[in-house]
Amino acid sequence: MNRTPAELHTNRRRALQLLSSSLAIALTRCGEPREEIVPYVEMPERLVPGIPVRYATALPMAGYGRGVLGITIDGRPIKLEGNPRDEFGGGGTDIFAESAVLSLYDPDRSRIPIKDGIVASWEQFSGEWANGPGAGTANGGAGMALVTGRITSPTMLAGITALKMRYPELRQYRYEAAHDDAPRLGAQRAFGRNLDVIPHLGQADVIVVLDADPLGPGPNFLHNANEFSLRRNSQQPQRIHVAESGLTLMGAMADRRIAVRPQRIAQIARALASGFGVNTGAPGLSPSETAFVQTAAADLKQAGRGLILAGETQSGSVHALAHFLNSQLHAPVDLLNPADPEEQNHAASFSAFLRDVESGQIRSLIILDANPVYDSADSRQLAKAIAAIPFSVHCGCYANETADACRWHLPLSHPLESWGDLKSPGGATLLMQPLIRTLYDTRSSAELLNLLTMAAPMGARDLVRANWMPSGGSDFEQWWRQSLTAGVVPNSAPAPVSATAAMPSFETVQDPPQGVTLSLVPSPSVWDGRYANNAWLQECPAPFTKEVWGNAVQLSPEDAARIGVGFGDAIILRRGYSEIEAVAAVLKGQPQGAARAFLGQGRWRAGDIGNGIGVRMTALCPTGLERQIDGISIRAGGKTGLIHTTQYHTKLEGRDEDIFPLAASAQIASRLAQLKPDTGGIVPPLPADPYAWAMVIDNNLCIGCNACVIACQAENNVAVVGPDEVDLGRDMHWLRVDVYELDEADGLRRGFQPVPCMHCETAPCEPVCPVAASVHDHEGLNVQVYNRCIGTRFCESNCPYKVRRFNFFGYSRGQEYGNLGQPPVRAQHNPNVSVRGRGVMEKCTYCVQRISAARKNAEKEDRLIRDGEVKPACAVACPTHAIQFGNRNDANSAVAQLQHDPRHFSLLAHLDTRPRTTYLAKVWNPPAGQTG
Amino acid sequence: MSATIDGASRWLGPGAQSSEQITALISAPILERLSWRNWWIAFLAASALTVIMWISAIYLLAEGIGVWGVNSVIVWGFAIANYVWWIGIGNAGTLISALLLLTHQQWRSSLNRFAETMTLFAASIAGLFPIFHLGRPYVLYWIVPYPNRMGLWPQWRSALVWDFWAISVYILFSFLFWYAGLIPDLAVLRDRARNPTTRRIYGAFALGWRGSARHWDIQQRMYRAMAAIAVPMVCLVHSIVALDFAASLMPGWQETIFPPYFVVGALYSGFGIVVILAASLRWGFGFESLITREHFEVIARVLLAAATVMGISYAAEWFTAWYSNDAADVSQVIYQFTGTYWPMYLGQLLFNCIIPQVFWWPAARRSITAVVVVSVIINIGMWFERILIVWNTLGHGHMPSAWRIFLPTFWDWSLLFGSLGFFAFLFLLFTRVLPAVSIHEVNLLRHEEQKA
Repeated sequence: MNRTPAELHTNRRRALQLLSSSLAIALTRCGEPREEIVPYVEMPERLVPGIPVRYATALPMAGYGRGVLGITIDGRPIKLEGNPRDEFGGGGTDIFAESAVLSLYDPDRSRIPIKDGIVASWEQFSGEWANGPGAGTANGGAGMALVTGRITSPTMLAGITALKMRYPELRQYRYEAAHDDAPRLGAQRAFGRNLDVIPHLGQADVIVVLDADPLGPGPNFLHNANEFSLRRNSQQPQRIHVAESGLTLMGAMADRRIAVRPQRIAQIARALASGFGVNTGAPGLSPSETAFVQTAAADLKQAGRGLILAGETQSGSVHALAHFLNSQLHAPVDLLNPADPEEQNHAASFSAFLRDVESGQIRSLIILDANPVYDSADSRQLAKAIAAIPFSVHCGCYANETADACRWHLPLSHPLESWGDLKSPGGATLLMQPLIRTLYDTRSSAELLNLLTMAAPMGARDLVRANWMPSGGSDFEQWWRQSLTAGVVPNSAPAPVSATAAMPSFETVQDPPQGVTLSLVPSPSVWDGRYANNAWLQECPAPFTKEVWGNAVQLSPEDAARIGVGFGDAIILRRGYSEIEAVAAVLKGQPQGAARAFLGQGRWRAGDIGNGIGVRMTALCPTGLERQIDGISIRAGGKTGLIHTTQYHTKLEGRDEDIFPLAASAQIASRLAQLKPDTGGIVPPLPADPYAWAMVIDNNLCIGCNACVIACQAENNVAVVGPDEVDLGRDMHWLRVDVYELDEADGLRRGFQPVPCMHCETAPCEPVCPVAASVHDHEGLNVQVYNRCIGTRFCESNCPYKVRRFNFFGYSRGQEYGNLGQPPVRAQHNPNVSVRGRGVMEKCTYCVQRISAARKNAEKEDRLIRDGEVKPACAVACPTHAIQFGNRNDANSAVAQLQHDPRHFSLLAHLDTRPRTTYLAKVWNPPAGQTG
Repeated sequence: MSATIDGASRWLGPGAQSSEQITALISAPILERLSWRNWWIAFLAASALTVIMWISAIYLLAEGIGVWGVNSVIVWGFAIANYVWWIGIGNAGTLISALLLLTHQQWRSSLNRFAETMTLFAASIAGLFPIFHLGRPYVLYWIVPYPNRMGLWPQWRSALVWDFWAISVYILFSFLFWYAGLIPDLAVLRDRARNPTTRRIYGAFALGWRGSARHWDIQQRMYRAMAAIAVPMVCLVHSIVALDFAASLMPGWQETIFPPYFVVGALYSGFGIVVILAASLRWGFGFESLITREHFEVIARVLLAAATVMGISYAAEWFTAWYSNDAADVSQVIYQFTGTYWPMYLGQLLFNCIIPQVFWWPAARRSITAVVVVSVIINIGMWFERILIVWNTLGHGHMPSAWRIFLPTFWDWSLLFGSLGFFAFLFLLFTRVLPAVSIHEVNLLRHEEQKA
């Protein structure tokens, strides 16, 4: 562009003009989308500054959707909560949903199209596409390939169909790194076709779990956790038998658990089946396995409804057997036509992709929101092959490992900036509406497909609306507004189909091979690696090891002793010629000969947060998608030798009664009667007030999923400190989930206990503060006055629960970890919660800002705050409803009722701190013949 | 007890047999041209450490206390241990001086001046650590009751507020006590100084002391009255330091034995430092006639008694834990012996209780080398005790899920060793400016001894 010298000359006036216009641009960037978006409950007459508004939208999880409510303040989304209208999920959240709001503001997100490492533009890409591969309609798009993850979005599927119409020769490859091929194979064998099998944990009287983790992370997690908790909360007992090859959250909840090598699971499944008239041959079982199968089979026969669940690392035949037994037992499972219409299995599709790339058949490659270079076992080889393709484009939120290999990288919008639709695993369709205008020059996936089809340019909202126009009926606008309000398309949940499971055939089961079997499971913090650049997730402690910022290999104590390593020591894993260096996490309850590791770490182009954390375990795989690898040899050695953990001691040291009482269901009342806190202390009770806030946490319902931890972090501006500070013992989580080993006769299970501030009535932290920064308010909250605190830390040293957190550095102000000090990240901060500076103590406030907001509303209406009107972030997030909060002075409130439960106890009651946060003891339901 | 050595009196050597001899000997480092070489070497070493201390402190203030090894569970670390250790040393000087004065122990005359000076420096250094330890040291004054618009007052139930007053009052009082005893000596220096400027300076500080009978009467009465106040006050100060821990509900802290046991511990480590300083002065300034072998012998007896009391105190802690049958308390004692820091705990017992038992043998008491070595060992042991009180209790509290260890950093160590250098720096300056031994009291001692 030619400019006259006068235009280039900058005088004072011009400089001010530029300054003000750039400021105006910056200010308008952060704001509501241009199109109309519809709030969740009531439409405010106008937007009031500082007043939060909730919008329903949906987030993708491995291609499936889950409904969320986004809380926005002044046009900025700051917090996500579960959408109760998404009936499949039940209204809770998991860590992935909670942390999506941080990803939105991630400074490492791609902001602009890039070609060959140089900044380009969308127009340039459209031009090159139209003149290059896009012009190839004559040959039907031969040599064109599209790689995607799982797609359930109807609009996206329509977009892909349109693309295939234009380019009939287009090959599509679809895979997820954390895939469900085994259940798919099982369904194919049992039912002869693909069916999604949705279990109802709550309706089963006896559950036999074969290496599955229905309570572990995944698209079905919210559904399973919700159903599990509803059953546990009812008076009807349920018994859970678990045989598994590693510690899982379901195993932690088991009433009977055995740990076996993964290969033994097939034998156990067969032995179980032989009890139901299936001729399976006579598998040889060890005495403990036999005992397990006998009690499980006896329970299943006695029970009204049994349910058998097989895990994703197991083979298709185990799944097929489980389907068959479930149909015999009339198990509570729904069979649904798959939300993911792709016929091919993930591993097959991925292998085909690798083969076709290597053979040079692909001339133009479109990778849509997938990361095959990282997922492939031999990343270097695949990157080289992709680089040889004449036209390759990667579309994603981040310029990741695959983007590096491609010529083009196109930035995708974050889900919270996008219009779209998604299907939940239960089949209902959820609508996505943006909560904020796109922060950068990005496009949503639907827009991108539209661009590739070279159809008339259309916004994502119009694309979604066009797709739904036929379903809307006569008054489409009203239908649209209704659906957006709820976040769910009405009546879109499909009815279950009926199918009969065929008696499966059996393969000969081989004996476990030499060496260790390594199971690769999705990470409980970063899933398959796609969330690796999220600092909240990296610093979210893994349930059993409490490891953060890494993925140590979980080894049994026997294996660890054999190779001479301890917790946190360096090890080398070897399979054939592949060798990786990792860290050992020695865990009781892990079977001998079986190791377990999490996917998703060891990334090198994740971003400032996720680069170089942990180890890429898939380097040991033949292709990258195998979930169980035999014949691994492990030895001590290697460079990396540090495990970052937040809990160093997991034994109760005989303090069960004070900290984590456990009662067999038959003896609750008698066993726990003695735990009643002694109320006869010398300190007089607090004066009466309309409110006495209290929290009751049910240890029996806590499955250790960490949703509360991340929810608290999001709500309360809790800082991330990074791995080095964690090693020094300075994690900042206001709410931690303690894990304890519960030594029982039949193998090791764990108990989880969320520990926020206890808000003691006679709080030990208060009298020791020299400046009255730790004080009590009239509603019983133990409050911390940040700007009064001078940082003596006497309060924390005198806190028996150790729930206070100190800003040793300016973790939120000036000394942030990694890129977390950059401006976009600050936009996530909740404006109703102070950002704490260096040198002050902080802790759980019971989300006092929420209490305060509720009080304002109540006072406007001249009434008291109603029960359930205030819910702290942790209680809202909890997918099992284990955390209840309310006014103890209201005898009808949920907490007041729970405080009369025979399981009710206070943590360290003998110290007479009179905590307002109290617990309900964990109960187990041992099979006949076993006692607590 | 009237043993004499070569005709000299028990507490004074042959070089201190006349008033002039004594006065000349003591004022020589200040007024005469002695060899400065050894002093300079010591001074340079001390200055180097002082610089390290202040670099460490400035870095700390700039970066935040995260530069130390403190963590969310062991929120207190070196700073608190150093504080208690230094304040312990600080308590001893005044206690020794005042207690021995009231009990008519004449031998105090050779020791009380530098012991009191030690108190002033040690207590001042001790007072720095709680300030460094704060998350926001620049708002330290919030602990002081001052009128402010917010109407906020300190929180008087906190042991830290008591502590603040205890240290402030103690430093002020120790200074006055020290100065009251110094006035006659300042007059001596005034009278002996040849340089007019020097004479004027000492003269100003001598407050017009003429040595009249009335002056002596007033000075002695005031001095004894202050001594009578000092003894209970010292006990109070260190008891309050002990309450920083005892007024809590943590296992291993919440013990009624803490105040007396801290007072004895303070006396113990303070006497240890007195031995080291006495030996240095004796060697550096040729004070063999003022600080005799006999002095070391009696101090060794005090150390032996204190070591035994320390041993009984430790045993009392174990007994109480067992007798209480409280899981956290019992576990705490087991952790002391078997936990992460067990070598330090065994070191503490060995250094503080076992090794000083050599003083049952007179030969050990009479060997200055032996007394000095044991004193160094005792002070290491006492530092172990203080750091272990912090580490063991905080790192092994009520919730097993919150058990942690402490990993010291370079900045922890540099501040500790730097503060030792800073103390030496101040003390070396003192020896060149003021009489390290009380001139008039030693003269009185000579008078009494010769009379006897």
